[in-house]
Amino acid sequence: MTETRAAPFVVHTATFEGPLEQLLRLVQQGEVDVSALPLAEIAAAYLTHSRAGFDVEEATEAIWTLAALVELKARALLPQPPPPEEPPPEEPGDLDAAMEERVAAYRAFKDVATAMRALETYQQRVFLRPGEEPAGALLTGVALPDLMRAFQEVLARGRERPREVIPEPITLAERMAALMELLTEATGEMAFQALFPGEATRLEIVVTFLALLELIRLARVGVRREGPDGTIQIFLRTNADVHRRMDAVLPGRDAG
Amino acid sequence: MSDRSGAIPILDEPAQPPDDARLYEAVRAIECILFASGEPVRPEQMAEAAQVPTEIVAAALAILRGEYAERGLEVQAVAGGYQLVTRPAYAEAVRRYLGAAAREPLSQAALETLAIIAYRQPITRPEVDAVRGVRSDYILERLEERRLIHVVGRKDTVGRPMLYATTEAFLRHFGLGGLADLPPLERFGQIVSPPEL
Repeated sequence: MTETRAAPFVVHTATFEGPLEQLLRLVQQGEVDVSALPLAEIAAAYLTHSRAGFDVEEATEAIWTLAALVELKARALLPQPPPPEEPPPEEPGDLDAAMEERVAAYRAFKDVATAMRALETYQQRVFLRPGEEPAGALLTGVALPDLMRAFQEVLARGRERPREVIPEPITLAERMAALMELLTEATGEMAFQALFPGEATRLEIVVTFLALLELIRLARVGVRREGPDGTIQIFLRTNADVHRRMDAVLPGRDAG
Repeated sequence: MSDRSGAIPILDEPAQPPDDARLYEAVRAIECILFASGEPVRPEQMAEAAQVPTEIVAAALAILRGEYAERGLEVQAVAGGYQLVTRPAYAEAVRRYLGAAAREPLSQAALETLAIIAYRQPITRPEVDAVRGVRSDYILERLEERRLIHVVGRKDTVGRPMLYATTEAFLRHFGLGGLADLPPLERFGQIVSPPEL
């Protein structure tokens, strides 16, 4: 973009010479020993270099790369924690007791299940006047054609995947999980369009849309639109009351 | 056969009987509301619709349930409200008329999983797995599809696993007035505190 900029930043150290990204790559591949790299010097050298001509994109890249290097170095220097978290060492006697407790708990639940079966059997023999779907509207202010139209708009801007790239398999289950994740991070609500990132391929868009329909069917998400020209919003269908009760207990959820 | 409809006192009987004419008007109005509704009606909703205080609703419900004791219908306390349902003894007649097949009962595994969730909610899948000793993904998915459980949030631990809880449909499925109607787990053998994960 900025053609007038000075020459790109080059790292000069005893063990490596070349661009920063290449250094990170070699460290990741284990070709360069990160623990011996003078990261402070490299950072200082970059600062000096950036004073000559500052480019935001390059700086972003450099900070990210340096941060990654710092992390790798920290990992390399710190003593390795004992591999996978093992269950607390238990005496054989404790183990037996714990096992017994677990079996007892499970047996209790099995018995409860029997009691619940009796309740179910009773309840299956009573009839109620047929009422409306009690689950609450899945689509509010949006008809299926609106959703299809929005989908087609998104699909139209999707790009064809370049041929030379090996297609990664995309599964519906993965997309469903990713959508739930995305919505949770967006504190439960997002615009329909935002579910489809700009660089998404048409295949990704199609699978994401199918995943969305599946989530709507399972009543995990709802769709709503305020007014005929409003944006279509997708939201997590969770029980607000339980949410509130839980938030009071869970530490570190937004304190504001 | 025990009549469970009387087992769940949601409202206490009023200390003083209100005046009769007004009370019996309320009894009839509430009967109509319960008949017209296809789902449990909360006492507050009845009070609002019948335009009587909640104490009268409580008294009226007690009278109504007494009146229905000898009838083919019964007043059931379910999911925090009341509903008018047919008596189980006449299920076959109703089914024949409706041409409805017997409803699909839950599988034993689903029932056990549901029991664990009901008593330990909100609970994550790994926690359910830990109690059952087997993976429960599929069962949780089926239960969610039947709207008997739903995701209520995420636990603040590694991986932020989803937390499941039972729904109102769960209470209806088992004819429970609320979760408090579940029998105390202690009755079913020695129970330990949930494992720390």
